[in-house]
Amino acid sequence: MIREFLFAGTCLSLGSLLSLGATESTGQLGVIPASVALHRSGQHQTLLPVFEQAGLPSGIATGATFTSKDPTIVSVSKEGLLTACGNGTTTVSVECNGSITASTVSVQIDSAEAQWSFNRHVLPIMSKANCNGGGCHGALAGKGGFRLSLGGYDPASDYLNITRDALGRRIESGDPLHSLFLTKPTSATPHKGGRRLDPQSEDYRLLAEWIASGAPGPIEKEAGLDHIEVLPARWTLKKGQTVRLLVRAHYSDGRIEDVTQWAKFSSTDETMLHVSNPNGGVEVTGYGEGAVTAWFSSRIVMSRILSPFPNESGETSTDVWQVRNVVDEAVNTQLKQLNLTPSPISDDATFIRRASVDVTGVLPTPAETSAFLEDKSPGKRDALIEQLINSNEFTDYWTYRWSDLFLISGSHLRPGAVKAYYQWLRSEVEKNTPWDALVRHVLTAKGDSLEHGATNFFAVHQEPETMAENVSQAFMGLSINCAKCHNHPLEKWTNNQYYAFANLFSRVRAKGWGGDARQGDGKRTLYSVPSGELLQPKTGRPQPAAPLDAPPVADHEGTDRREVLADWLTSPSNPYFTRTIVNRVWAAYFGIGIVNSVDDLRASNPATNEVLLDRLCQLLIEKKYDLKGLMRVILQSATYQRSSEVTAGNKADSRYFARYYPRRLMAEVLSDAICSVTGVPEEFNQVNLQDGSMEKTDFYPKGTRALQLYDSAVRSYFLKTFGRNQREITCDCERSNQPSIVQALHLSNSATLNGKLAIPENAVKGLLADEPNDSELIKRTFLRCLSRPPKPAELREYTALLAATPQEERRTVTEDLLWSLLTSREFLFQH
Amino acid sequence: MFDFLSDRSGGLCGTSHLKRREFLQIGALSALGLSWPQYLSAKSAGAVKAGHDERSCILIFNLGGPPHVDLWDMKPDAPAEVRGPFRPIRTNAPEIQLSEILPMHAKIADQFSLVRSCHHDGAAVHDAGWQIMQTGRRFTGGVQTPHMGAVASHLLGKRNDLPPFMVLPELMGRGGGNLPNGQAGGFLGKAFDPFSLMADPSKPNFKVPDLLPPDLIGAVRMERRQRMREVVEGAIQQFEASEDARLMDENFHAAFRLMTSEQARSAFDLSKEPDSVRDRYGRNRFGQCCLLARRLVENGVRFITLNTFLTVFGETTWDIHGSKPFTSIDGMKNEVCPMYDQAYSALIEDLKQRGMLANTMVAALSEFGRTPKVNPAGGRDHWPQCFTVSFAGGGVKGGRVIGKSDPVGGFPAERPVMPGDLVATIFHSLGLDHESHLDGPAGRPFPLVDFGRQPIRELFT
Repeated sequence: MIREFLFAGTCLSLGSLLSLGATESTGQLGVIPASVALHRSGQHQTLLPVFEQAGLPSGIATGATFTSKDPTIVSVSKEGLLTACGNGTTTVSVECNGSITASTVSVQIDSAEAQWSFNRHVLPIMSKANCNGGGCHGALAGKGGFRLSLGGYDPASDYLNITRDALGRRIESGDPLHSLFLTKPTSATPHKGGRRLDPQSEDYRLLAEWIASGAPGPIEKEAGLDHIEVLPARWTLKKGQTVRLLVRAHYSDGRIEDVTQWAKFSSTDETMLHVSNPNGGVEVTGYGEGAVTAWFSSRIVMSRILSPFPNESGETSTDVWQVRNVVDEAVNTQLKQLNLTPSPISDDATFIRRASVDVTGVLPTPAETSAFLEDKSPGKRDALIEQLINSNEFTDYWTYRWSDLFLISGSHLRPGAVKAYYQWLRSEVEKNTPWDALVRHVLTAKGDSLEHGATNFFAVHQEPETMAENVSQAFMGLSINCAKCHNHPLEKWTNNQYYAFANLFSRVRAKGWGGDARQGDGKRTLYSVPSGELLQPKTGRPQPAAPLDAPPVADHEGTDRREVLADWLTSPSNPYFTRTIVNRVWAAYFGIGIVNSVDDLRASNPATNEVLLDRLCQLLIEKKYDLKGLMRVILQSATYQRSSEVTAGNKADSRYFARYYPRRLMAEVLSDAICSVTGVPEEFNQVNLQDGSMEKTDFYPKGTRALQLYDSAVRSYFLKTFGRNQREITCDCERSNQPSIVQALHLSNSATLNGKLAIPENAVKGLLADEPNDSELIKRTFLRCLSRPPKPAELREYTALLAATPQEERRTVTEDLLWSLLTSREFLFQH
Repeated sequence: MFDFLSDRSGGLCGTSHLKRREFLQIGALSALGLSWPQYLSAKSAGAVKAGHDERSCILIFNLGGPPHVDLWDMKPDAPAEVRGPFRPIRTNAPEIQLSEILPMHAKIADQFSLVRSCHHDGAAVHDAGWQIMQTGRRFTGGVQTPHMGAVASHLLGKRNDLPPFMVLPELMGRGGGNLPNGQAGGFLGKAFDPFSLMADPSKPNFKVPDLLPPDLIGAVRMERRQRMREVVEGAIQQFEASEDARLMDENFHAAFRLMTSEQARSAFDLSKEPDSVRDRYGRNRFGQCCLLARRLVENGVRFITLNTFLTVFGETTWDIHGSKPFTSIDGMKNEVCPMYDQAYSALIEDLKQRGMLANTMVAALSEFGRTPKVNPAGGRDHWPQCFTVSFAGGGVKGGRVIGKSDPVGGFPAERPVMPGDLVATIFHSLGLDHESHLDGPAGRPFPLVDFGRQPIRELFT
């Protein structure tokens, strides 16, 4: 085992010699784990001496000394490595700078047990050496004629391939060290994968001993892996510190084994945490809250590490710490832990624009803005929020956003079906149907696709596998696609679980329209049949239908398996369901999720603020999945209402919500905003079909806003250039709010904006109607475009520019004034 | 995607009001605080081999799928229903025999090499092949591999005001299979989508859409607009902390630089070429695109994908099923081949003459080949099991044949080559390490090409 670590925290007696530049960690001495049970002669467990502050480990106590009370039971090395020697119970004491603590160790050696187990030792060594990785022998077809299951998920076939395949020449029982199984990974014989195993290592010795003992295979009655844990599970550390982690495997017979050296570690955030040693060494390289994941035997656990920002601003202002509700409690607590200071609350002009755009996708009108700015009542922001949440524009906007999730698109459905699907969704959003009920409705939909619009969810997805993948992606934020062919390499989902889940959809049938989006009436009747199974291709047999991590469904007469799925999926005890929708709503208001990205809620992708996400999930469950209720809490929070101005105390923050983060307006909102400011609407009269051809549509009368379109396939160069969601697959990543050069060229030079400004009958004409003076014209235009009055300097400079223009250019200079504001980032961005 | 669908009305572009001096003034105005993202080059540190920075690539995509047996892998000894109507001719390279319908290729055969043993396992559908051949992978699990040009621009960055990755004349259209065509930034994001020209350079009034302001916005107004915009842009501080907002700002500056760049305008200006040169390339869309590609490479564009056609429907293309709505064998012989033969040979000759060939790889790929047997309509159908591609320049030694097909051109007989190998070959020429990794969706690392795919090193030695 490699045991070379640098420990940042040191006992005071050694501190002056070993201080590595990081702030010394001191505090109460502790030892991890506090008790140890060993069952095999020679079995190891490492003890980790730590300092603790306020209950959290804050560093390794370097220089600690270890003493076993009874070395005939357990011996301990200078570094804290325990080795089981004989039966009994004793203690191992740890001393550092006069402080003493101890770990209890019991040894009960089971002499009947073989020394090395294929499942518990041989496979983990191979996984750690990456023999069974996807790029090596774990590839579907193996590598160089030797095939292993990815990550070792199929021990029986791995054992067969190692010992029997290739005429059994990989194992030489009589001469273990000449086994190909050892000469290949050590590169003693040529190995394309290079040297993976050091012949001096303990792992090498273990494998050799395993071969010498007859290379025993997986044992049927051997207790399976129950769970793994990483210790410590939480730290509070400082940049520059290096610590290490322990990983222990808990087997179902109660035995625990130190598997740190076989665990694979990775940082969830390379900007702040670096795995400095493959055996669990972690260096803190930045600030924030991050995690290191440990993988062992297809299980994943996380150690979360808090590293406060330096924040030398010296800001002590207390009036930025307003707490309106649960959001602020969770956010402020984390900000304090991270030593970040929030930005102050935004001004009213910023707030009305921000809230209008985020809640309804529409800019406030100049009149609305003026009225709001003049309103002196203290509750005016709450009143505005209520008004926005209950507006028709709210319904348009959120129907549009959820349409992305439900893949409402004319490139997959006929126009009639698109309309029915959209109108179903819109009526649900209008009624504020609880999210769980809405999802249940779509999952269990039956009947005619033109009458029951929700059935079209199953017309977009034509076979059980894609239904399963998209349900999982849309409502649980989990991508299970990888598990279609093999166990998910980054996640815990197995190939069998995938087919068990997909099998829930194997009894969905449809009559009528065949699925060609180019022709037919789109009329299709969806129903469920009492029998039918999806085969798991590996076995050729159906995998008993089961939700993920749940027992198989009991099939009763007349049961629609989708009902069982809906019960399970929308249950408050399904953590993924609630987390996913909370996170999607949050991301819609803040531009980034609490978990990033919103489509990636796998266990190894932690939330930036776990408490915040948990509290909001509780809240949504209490509110019985009332999304408007959740939005109200978010909108009322001080967190949401903060300015996007950077302060000295939060300039390093980009994900803990110390301020509001500017982001480009989404394509449809921007298109509508340009139309409303210029007073010239867009026309939407063609739909792109699946095969690239075009079809006319009369669904959208003149004046229809982009956010009122049913369909992402409506032809629009502008929307496409600005990255609307094409609704081909369930993924928020299909929408892009990323700025591009083509967008800049288009805004600057195309007919879209220039044409709208040049048309005689437009907003420019209105602005000039009563021949306002320069200052009045500038004020009006600012209010119209940016929802705020000009700042004094802006008014001065614009007035100078207008004054330098002859009167006959009044119209064109006003167009240019609008152009300059409409292409400014303040207009193009939500802020 | 950056395709300029024609939602624009014509006639707004023009240079008449903009004199060079005025352009330079605008350029100076927007020159404040310009900095093209340096992170691009930082990212590339290590992934790029030394001495390759001058490398570029022109990828000619032979949309439709040319019949290898009728063009570059002739089978004169096969039965009549295989060998087809054309006869082989000798070339200036002893190893290479070509079809009589590629006479100009025959004169420069010492400059390019053929790979006659390509095959892929994707569906025999146009878009499936477009995707596989331009990215090296079939898209599975919702993961869209970026086009090689996107990878190159991601890793290498841009050289100047011109976009590093362009598509001429525009993105591929429909292929009938409803699959992504692989001509995008994929999981690298839209920032790496190609800049699509969306215009036909053989048209007399050829202009790049949106490159210049409408005629009615003269230089005076353009300058006024910029001045006004600077006022409001300068007043807002909070955007500087937002990466997207900085990117938008840089994009505006880049767009203004593109609009005002003499180099960019000149690169796109084919009227600067003598008539004799324009004639040599052929006065058609493909020919003038080849010429434009040369000008763009000369001006620093790293990767250009040139689609020979835009769709296989209703156009005379390489898709020679023999009957309508596809192309007949005569259509190929009389229209497609003469156009292609002329432009390709002109491009190679021109690059060679200007000393650019050594640093410019010209790869000619297609989605598949065509059936060994001629069909009842006298054409050939889709055949991904075996086909021929060609490489010239960028370090490739010409005049050779790599790999071999069986006696009827049905399957590779020697040295089978997969799309990933072709992609690796192009990366190799550009100095990119095909074993390095890109960050894919959900943090999954993706090697530039799948494990085991290798550059065809024989081409370079």
